[in-house]
Amino acid sequence: MASPSAIRDKLRKQRRSLQETLGKLKREGDDEQALFPSSRLSEESLQTTMRDAQSSEEDPGETLKQKLRAQRQMRRKRLLEQISTQEFPADDVQELASARHLSEDEGSSKRTTDLQRTSLASKAPKSRASQQFDRFVTRRLEEKLRAARSQGESLQRQEASEVDASRLRGLRDRTTVTRSDREVDSEADSSTQPVPQAASSRVKFQESSKCVEKERPTTEEAYNFFTLNFEPEPEPEESTSGKSQKQRKTGEDGGQEPEEAEEPSPEQSQDRNEEEPLMQDEDGNVFVIEQTSKDFVEVKSAEYIGLRALALRHRALVYTPSSQTVPISVKLPENVRPRYLEEEGLYVGERPTVTSTNENILENRILKMEEGAKWFGDDGRIIALPDPIKESSTRPPLFHMEDDLDPALQTVYRKPLNSRHVQQHSTDAADGVAEGRYQLDVDVSGLIFAHHPLFSREHVLASRLAQLFDQYLSRQRNNLAEHLTDKLNGLRNTMRNMLEIHSELSLSQAMQQRIVEYSVEVKNTRLLRDGEQEKDRMLLKSLIKVWKELKALREFQKFANTPYKLYLRRENVDRQSDERQYESDILSEVWELEAEGEVDYQSKLAEYKKQLGEWKAWKRKQKSKKKKRKKKKGQTQDETEEEDQEVSESEGPDEEGPPKPEPPEKLDFEVIKQQVREKASRIRRKPGEANLIPELTASGKISEAELCPRGELARREDVARRSVFIKILYNDKEVSQTNSRMLTSDFRVHFGEIFNLKIVNCPRSITLQVFEEVGSSCLLLAQVYVPVPHSSVLPANASIEEFEFSSNQRVMFDHEGVGSDVPLSFTAEGSDNVILLTSGKVSCCVSWGVDEDDVPLAPPMSQHPSILHGGVGPVDAISHIGSSGDTKKISEWAMQSRLDPNDPKNASIMQLLKVASSGEVTAPDYFRLEQLQEEFNFASDEELAQSRRFRLLALRNQEVPEFRNYKCVPSREREVTDKVFQDYEKRLKEGEIIDTKEHLDSHRALVAKYLQKIREAVIHRFLLASHHFLLSDMVIEEEMPCFGGAHLQRVPDRHLRDGGAFLELRNPEPIEMTGRAELLMILGLNLFHLAEPKRPLKPQRKERKKVTAQNLSDGDIKLLVNVLRAYDIPVRRSQSSKAGQSQGAIQASDWLISQVQVRPFVEVSFQRNVFQTTTADGPNPCWNEELQLPFRAPNGDYSIASLQSVKDDVFINIFDEVVRDIGMSDKDKDKGKTLHTRVEKHWLGSVKIPFSTIYAQSRIDGTFKVNTPAVLLGYSKERSSSNTGAYEAMQSLCQGAFITLFITIEPQLLPGESIREKVGLLTCRHDDSH
Amino acid sequence: MAELHIIGQLVGATGFPHNSLFCKWGLNAGGAWRLLSGSKQGQTQVDNPQTGDTAYWSHPIDVHYATKGLQGWPKLHLQVWHQDSFGRCQLLGYGYCHVPSSPGHHRISCATWRPLGSWREQLSQMFVGGGPQLRSPDIIYSGADRYRLHTEAMGTVQLELAVILRNFDKYGVDS
Repeated sequence: MASPSAIRDKLRKQRRSLQETLGKLKREGDDEQALFPSSRLSEESLQTTMRDAQSSEEDPGETLKQKLRAQRQMRRKRLLEQISTQEFPADDVQELASARHLSEDEGSSKRTTDLQRTSLASKAPKSRASQQFDRFVTRRLEEKLRAARSQGESLQRQEASEVDASRLRGLRDRTTVTRSDREVDSEADSSTQPVPQAASSRVKFQESSKCVEKERPTTEEAYNFFTLNFEPEPEPEESTSGKSQKQRKTGEDGGQEPEEAEEPSPEQSQDRNEEEPLMQDEDGNVFVIEQTSKDFVEVKSAEYIGLRALALRHRALVYTPSSQTVPISVKLPENVRPRYLEEEGLYVGERPTVTSTNENILENRILKMEEGAKWFGDDGRIIALPDPIKESSTRPPLFHMEDDLDPALQTVYRKPLNSRHVQQHSTDAADGVAEGRYQLDVDVSGLIFAHHPLFSREHVLASRLAQLFDQYLSRQRNNLAEHLTDKLNGLRNTMRNMLEIHSELSLSQAMQQRIVEYSVEVKNTRLLRDGEQEKDRMLLKSLIKVWKELKALREFQKFANTPYKLYLRRENVDRQSDERQYESDILSEVWELEAEGEVDYQSKLAEYKKQLGEWKAWKRKQKSKKKKRKKKKGQTQDETEEEDQEVSESEGPDEEGPPKPEPPEKLDFEVIKQQVREKASRIRRKPGEANLIPELTASGKISEAELCPRGELARREDVARRSVFIKILYNDKEVSQTNSRMLTSDFRVHFGEIFNLKIVNCPRSITLQVFEEVGSSCLLLAQVYVPVPHSSVLPANASIEEFEFSSNQRVMFDHEGVGSDVPLSFTAEGSDNVILLTSGKVSCCVSWGVDEDDVPLAPPMSQHPSILHGGVGPVDAISHIGSSGDTKKISEWAMQSRLDPNDPKNASIMQLLKVASSGEVTAPDYFRLEQLQEEFNFASDEELAQSRRFRLLALRNQEVPEFRNYKCVPSREREVTDKVFQDYEKRLKEGEIIDTKEHLDSHRALVAKYLQKIREAVIHRFLLASHHFLLSDMVIEEEMPCFGGAHLQRVPDRHLRDGGAFLELRNPEPIEMTGRAELLMILGLNLFHLAEPKRPLKPQRKERKKVTAQNLSDGDIKLLVNVLRAYDIPVRRSQSSKAGQSQGAIQASDWLISQVQVRPFVEVSFQRNVFQTTTADGPNPCWNEELQLPFRAPNGDYSIASLQSVKDDVFINIFDEVVRDIGMSDKDKDKGKTLHTRVEKHWLGSVKIPFSTIYAQSRIDGTFKVNTPAVLLGYSKERSSSNTGAYEAMQSLCQGAFITLFITIEPQLLPGESIREKVGLLTCRHDDSH
Repeated sequence: MAELHIIGQLVGATGFPHNSLFCKWGLNAGGAWRLLSGSKQGQTQVDNPQTGDTAYWSHPIDVHYATKGLQGWPKLHLQVWHQDSFGRCQLLGYGYCHVPSSPGHHRISCATWRPLGSWREQLSQMFVGGGPQLRSPDIIYSGADRYRLHTEAMGTVQLELAVILRNFDKYGVDS
């Protein structure tokens, strides 16, 4: 890279040469015409020279250049032809030709270098920097050219200025006209374009530059390019220069600059054309131009146009509407007065608000426009639509979000939960109870003992008194007797009225019917009233009696334990009116009774008459019969004796049949009166007798302790020692307990505590346990079950209820306390015993809680069906009936039960009935959740239920045992036969019937059934549980062999234990699937293993990968049985002992056989497959053979539960292989002797190993004792023949043969928890208990 | 009786502010629908992507329904949860989409949202985690008047569902 100064020098030289060339060019312009004809010739010669240059250079990259060149020349030819053919101004063509000639004529050497440069340009990527640079150079040159042009122009002017001008014009015209249709021009044009366009499109520039390379412009074009095109747009140039400056800098920094600098731009090459004559003398280095920024950068001051000048310029171009108000006359057509619609009473919408200045500006502008007037309305204002903006926002404000948000939409802020808790919520289960939002308030207010062991006699009486009084009060409150009396009077009056009104007229049928009804009603009511009155009377009497007893007792014992006092207030009544009323009452009753008696009598009489008639008829018949008989008797005396007997026999019962009816007694009026009076005196207050009103007060004094005898003192002390508390149990779990309170002398305990129970589980029961505390020991007195309140029961509307309790514990004291469950008598002689049990009442109140915002913390009703059944709170039954909308039934019921329409209690029903009867209440008799569902159904429910295929699929999904492993469900309905369900249905049917035949007694059968149920339940649970996986079930940490070789280490390479398990995920714990790097630690540990000695001869069994039995199929599992060796196999007895064997020929073989002690082999059979080992020799054989037995699970079900239930056993039999000679065949006697032998296998013993054991243990490795029969014919223990040493003696202790086995399952299966064992255990226990 | 098989997977989720995501899903169908086989709800594992923000679950969905009507076409509702470094889980988004009613393979992206609490709740959410959750999650798929609910957009859950219809044409439902 040359120094910048050198570059500058070169540039200067170039400039100079350029100027000179230009001068020359102008001069040569004169003799253009002369030169033109030879241009084509010269070009052809040029081509040849070019080719020579190429061949001489031998540049490998020249091929591209060649192509380019060839193309270019072809084009040029075409162009020249075009030029010649098309009739253009001769001047232009000549000029072009001359220019070309000039450039091409300048010498072939220059040409080659030039080409080199162009090729370089085409070769090198046209980077942005180079382009900018090119442009820059171009401009610099252009400036020089401008100067030159002025010179040239002056020269031309001197000669023929007229022609020149026309030519220039022509050139310009040409550029505009021929741009599209002539290639040369487009190229020339594009070559003139780049500088102004460069800023906008570099790509274009590139193309154009390429074009330029292809088609070298003429001098004239170049001249035009430099002189003409840039004048109108000076500004873009500036910007490009600025850019180029910048990019130049970056290029310098980048270090790629030299190459880029060397790239000659097309413009440059054009220039070179002009300066070629000068360049000829210089060396090739000239073209490697290295330039500095200073050469290209020109600092210019920013262009500034003064404000005023700008304003002036703008005024010419821009119209600024004024903000002055436009007079109306201008806006409207002439001679039209503004018309205001509003004033005419028409509705005009409110215009949108626009500031007046803006409106004025708009109006002014519109007026300037064509048809400006059409924008104005009749009122001279701009036409506007009414204001579209609504006054209030459509979307309600969200300020008080929490206040009245739909409860369904309310959100709860939840703390991030641990995964354990998250699991509990299912996605769609809105099980609110589980969220602990509900609260039960249990208010335990107090406890009253109705009887307590520590009651003294007086207490017993007092409590009885109190109870009676309570009863009295409650009766008084209801006042049934009074109510019934009123009713009775009312009924009597109506009846009387009716009779009076209709007395003269004959009673109609309906009337009579009504009267009968009334009289029945009266009778019933009277009976009821009498009962009530009697009860009242009795209560009062017993109250007084108890009080008398109490008084007597107090007097007797000379102290008082209870504060009760009974006052009897007398209410004097007016004797006369009372008597009158009494009498009239009795009279009316008597009347009624008489009437009733009359009716009764009449009916009885009618009955009597009827019966009498019957009787008489019978009698007559009888008489006639007798007469007949007598006649008969007269005729045939002898025969009739027997007959008579018969007749008398047959008539015997007839005579007894209809007895002679007694005539009914006519009721005596006096008797009735007497009866009524007696009754009245018994149950009613006597006329004139004062009305007694009892009042119980606790105003009495309890005697001081010193006044009491010893026994009483002891009792009182005992009472003082005792205290009572209550435990609250929710769902049978203790949740809280009250403070213990001392028992007071009145045996009332006040707690007044409220317990707020935050509920998680659905409430089933609330229990209060009453405990009595004596010293440190507690005694459960009683349990009180409190019903779970209805969810509408809140503290505000809950009332305190009393729940009675009692306990049957027997308590006796040696002091005054009466005890419990002890006979007690108040009479002196000990009769009239009563047994009192500890009892009392707990007053408490259970309601659902409310939170701070008074939101009830109660569950919605539907969630607690149990509660709805169990504890129904104070619910208005009628409103419930009403809500059900079944008014018809109510009215029916009201008719039947003859509701009293005047009774205020029935008011609501009456109201309802009235509404129901008057207004048309057309409530549908059903409620549908999903409307229009039925109308759009494809099929009915029954059809869906009948589908066998669906049933099969659903049952399989439910994992019903019969279908759990049903592999192929047919796709068509008809392919599913009913047979499939037979077993299942049979089982379902049998579930209900208990078969007693199979068992000894029915109880056993029941137990067996129960066990079966439990077993099913357990299996079902197990199945459910098998869908829940723990992390360890799903992720296996693969073991990776480490340095130790045989030793294995845990490595955190986790993967899923079983893909199948993962597919069945229901609700897994969130599992993280990322591994943890614990490798370093393991590596450290493994270093120690390196030091351990290696034992290649001691093979160890490796731990294998475990597989869950889920994605397995038949043939995947094999049972590996490795038969290693056996000990002490019985040996054959010596053959000599065998009798009946022929000596001689067999002798030799016999001897051989006798040499062989035993030849045992092992045969393993499992699931009908039999495999056997090779035969070994001797009583201690060693096989060391591995047998693979295929395993098939029942029904192809390879789940854990199924595998556990496989009941197959592996049988390992040891046989002795005996080869017997069966003699020579007779057939082949002539041909020679053929020896026939028979292989016999003699069973020696067996080992049985159940598959379930192998599965549970996953492998079995050890020596087993072979089960051999006690006597094995033909075999004996080897030991007997061998010498007996001490060791042998030891061994003889454990008799029998042994075999060493190793059994395992391939692949290794995961043994599951054995539920079957649990169930089995349960069975055993259950059986034991019976 | 028409049948509907839904076979597919919960592919994954993108655009959530946290990683370590898991998803609880459930299918909700009307009264006319009967589940023949397959589980209609489940939960994926927690996926913590190493690169990118897409959590991939590839959780299988395989459900077989029989129906006697078109009403209550099955809807799939999702809850995306995040398990933080302490092992605590918090809700990130609710989403719901209908199971496509045309047979074939469908790629569904289900946009999710989560309720926005008061500013206090948002603050505590930022520092201690947790967040507002719907009291009754069934409004994810039921159209209660939700306009009062302030929610915040969360990421999207990608699903691939293949739908197989059977016998619908027998009842005049062109598929």
